[in-house]
Amino acid sequence: MKKQIILITVLSFLSFNLLNAQDAKEIVNKSTKAILSDAMEMTSTLKIYDNKGNVRTRQVKNTTKKFADATKTIIKFLSPADVKGTGMLIFDYEEKDDDMWVYLPSLKKTRRIVSSEKSSSFMGSEFSNSDMSKPKMSDFNYKLLSTETINGKVYYKIETTCKTAETETIEKFKRKITYIEKNTYLPFKTETYDKDNKLIKTITMTDYRLQSTGKYMAFKMTAENNKTGRKSEIIITNLVTSSSLDESYFSTSNLEK
Amino acid sequence: MFKKLLTKPYRYFLIIIPILIFLGFLIPLRNIRINPDMTRYLPQETESKLNLEKIEEIFGHNDPIIVIFEADDILERESLEKISAIHDSLTESAIISDVMSIFNTKNIRGEDGFMLVDPAIKDIPEDKAQKEELRKEIKNNPLAYKLFVSEDFRYSVMIINPEKGYSDSEIINTTKNIVNSIWGNEKYYMSGMLYLREEIQQKAMQDLVILMPIALLVMIIFLYFSFREKRGVILPMLVVVISTGVSMGLMPLLGYEFSIIAVLIPILMISVANNYGVHIVSKYQELNATNPNASMEQIVLESLRCVANPVILTGLTTIAGVLGLIVHIMLPAKQTGIVCSIGISLALILSLCFIPAILIGMKKGKVNRSFKEKSRTVIDKILYYMANVTVNKPKRIIIIFLVIFLISFVGIFRLNVSINNEKMMSKSHDIRRSTDIINKHFGGTKYISVLFEGDIKDPAVIDEMNELEQLLKSKEQTGSVTSLSSIIRIMSKALNDKNDEAYDKIPDSREAIAQYIEFYNMSGNPEDFEKFVDFNYTKAIVNVQFKAENIKEYNSILNEIQKFCDNSKYAKYQAGISIVEKDMAMSIINGQIYSLILAMITIILLLWLIFRSFRTGLLGTIPLVFTIVCNFGLMGWAGIELDIATSLLSSIALGIGIDYTIHLFWRIKLEIENKKTLSEAIQICLTTTGRGITINAFSVMLGFSVLFLSGILILKTFAFLIIFSLLLCLVCALVLIPAILMMKPEIIVKNIKLNK
Repeated sequence: MKKQIILITVLSFLSFNLLNAQDAKEIVNKSTKAILSDAMEMTSTLKIYDNKGNVRTRQVKNTTKKFADATKTIIKFLSPADVKGTGMLIFDYEEKDDDMWVYLPSLKKTRRIVSSEKSSSFMGSEFSNSDMSKPKMSDFNYKLLSTETINGKVYYKIETTCKTAETETIEKFKRKITYIEKNTYLPFKTETYDKDNKLIKTITMTDYRLQSTGKYMAFKMTAENNKTGRKSEIIITNLVTSSSLDESYFSTSNLEK
Repeated sequence: MFKKLLTKPYRYFLIIIPILIFLGFLIPLRNIRINPDMTRYLPQETESKLNLEKIEEIFGHNDPIIVIFEADDILERESLEKISAIHDSLTESAIISDVMSIFNTKNIRGEDGFMLVDPAIKDIPEDKAQKEELRKEIKNNPLAYKLFVSEDFRYSVMIINPEKGYSDSEIINTTKNIVNSIWGNEKYYMSGMLYLREEIQQKAMQDLVILMPIALLVMIIFLYFSFREKRGVILPMLVVVISTGVSMGLMPLLGYEFSIIAVLIPILMISVANNYGVHIVSKYQELNATNPNASMEQIVLESLRCVANPVILTGLTTIAGVLGLIVHIMLPAKQTGIVCSIGISLALILSLCFIPAILIGMKKGKVNRSFKEKSRTVIDKILYYMANVTVNKPKRIIIIFLVIFLISFVGIFRLNVSINNEKMMSKSHDIRRSTDIINKHFGGTKYISVLFEGDIKDPAVIDEMNELEQLLKSKEQTGSVTSLSSIIRIMSKALNDKNDEAYDKIPDSREAIAQYIEFYNMSGNPEDFEKFVDFNYTKAIVNVQFKAENIKEYNSILNEIQKFCDNSKYAKYQAGISIVEKDMAMSIINGQIYSLILAMITIILLLWLIFRSFRTGLLGTIPLVFTIVCNFGLMGWAGIELDIATSLLSSIALGIGIDYTIHLFWRIKLEIENKKTLSEAIQICLTTTGRGITINAFSVMLGFSVLFLSGILILKTFAFLIIFSLLLCLVCALVLIPAILMMKPEIIVKNIKLNK
């Protein structure tokens, strides 16, 4: 009898955890699906603030689409004037190093870049490249911590941890806490913690707008570096969801235009 | 005056008040903190410090630990694997902000129309062929070769930047633990200001805890063998303990931080503070032996009457010498001057009031054996011999001293000032070894930044940076020069093919430079640029790494940069910890000169006042001048550099050493007044007073000799030199002065007549 009670307790504990993990993963999955990510052309203003409040403003046109073997992206600078026309073409493969080309208008030529080094920063801002891309869910563990009400809205508080030490080194975080709105599954805020459990970065996503595809896009994103006091902001000024873009669009000749 | 003071109830006040003061001064001692940061030894308003602050405000404060790994071949698989593991473990540590090593430096180059960006070590070589391939790659990588791997591939450097908010010891311990656990028993060395600070902090604290009790014990033993009576030990030691305690307590009370040379304060106080009490006890013992019927009160008052004047005078000259340090530029030297002069003043007052107040209430002690037995000790025999030689062969003595003086004088021109703080540690210390390796294999331990102002993306500015870079690279001492211009040149090599016009060139348009930078920001780590250029691209720095063994080599680089700044439109000024270090060296020289001049003038004036004769005053300074010249001469010939500690010693040595001459003059004057001839006066003086001052000098030397046990090299050197100086002062007083008097008796004889 005693053994049975123990067994039942252990089993119910296990099943609770299993349920919890599945719930959390499900919420994250739904959240990822609610956000637009497959194909888009957008013009945005990237503002990079230092800790004294100085600001660098860049206007960038960003076109991206996912194809069978890679996600292809063209980034072009619209302003400031001295870098206008500077562009990059990136083929982001799942399994191998990225292919990259850079076009510098002053040199009037495109140069292929072979890099085994992946820059962690997105265009020199506080956003990391992984902040800007869809996470590979199988690399992480998810846990539903609680629900929390902020400004009248209820949010799931989900903890994300890396499954392996290798992922930890690549992603440069110990754990993340994401606040996902209960009704819409839209993420509102992500807090990143280091190995010492110190808050190192806070990303907030606001101004969600529903797109014709039925998915949402946050028109304002802010990344605050809690260690250095620096901040970066992306405000989308124009967004076109264009699943019709042809793969040939992502070519070096287009980069030079 | 003494009689009234030593009667009840004043007597009790004289005993209780010093004890209460002492106890009161012990309270602030709880806040004792050693500040090993040498840059804080200079006043805050020093230009080099202000410039450094301005640059650090924009480009961040850099205070890394440097670890150098040694192996037969650093590219051996095992060594590389360990270095890689250490790099990763340190990166993961919360205390460490970032690590730079061969494992995260890049290999950026252009090849067959591609721009290739790889880590310097993409894969750890598996076999010999791969290892040699990697060696070839590293040799062609300007971001790795001679920066992270030495030319002979025996050493590899790792630069570790700590997070803010952690103590030096936490950072050092974390680093050491990680390195030890992975690198094992293989050789490695640590370097960096942070490491030096921590070593000084530990060694200075150890010195304070260990040396102080040893010095006290040495004094107790010395006093016991001198007086062979408990009161002869306890009374002077009470003065030592109270005045040393008050001096130490004054430091936190005056808001001073304990510096590396603050270790000298208790040792100096223990060595000197007993001097005055010893004279009182000695006279008491003498009178006790010679006047068996006199009462204790009579003996104490008579002792005071006999020795008060010379004790006060010698006390005042010691205070004058030590007080000379207040015009020193280095803050710890100034603070040592203030604290020790107050401490010595207190010791003087206590010897004249506190000791008699206790002594007068005691029963008469047993008569000291030495006053009964007329046996001659070794010291007596030497002094007797010296007196004979001096009186009979004064000319020969003067010639010998003159020769020594001249040889020493030549040595002064060889004297160097220390510009390398790591020389505070012994030659076998880790930090000295690592400095040697960095100087020999990695371009030097000195760093300077040159600030450029203007539109940094303007090719004219970048061109000027490049010009400065090429100019400095042409100098043999320069190790590396890095700036935005060097990164732009590396990029121009990677973005263009060899036959392209833009290859290895600074672009000639602002747009091109802006695009190079933007491209780097997009693909690289933007923090790489922050080390060289500010956020708004209006200020940038050129970082220069070089080696300098002496001030001449230092100046050759600094003057070159200054000349460049003077003729440049954009280069504004140079700053860096190395310039602060150089300013420290200059402050040591200037501080030494100022404090020496002040001490000398004060002592001449005091001697003039005491003996009412300017010529006697001048004669009194002969031992001092001789000692100073010999001391600096010895330093020059022996290659001992002038440093923060040795720059204190001449003022201190003068203050203490002049006492011997004063005692000697005093006695000779007394004997001549008692109708003795000059030869007789000298002979009597040397065998009586001479004995006293010899014992006194040896007690001070014994006190300072405790510093030989210090863990800090410059304090050991200080001990050696101050003992040497005091010995010279003593020999001058006992031999040179009498010899001069024999040759020119009118100096003292005439004055006696005049005084009468």
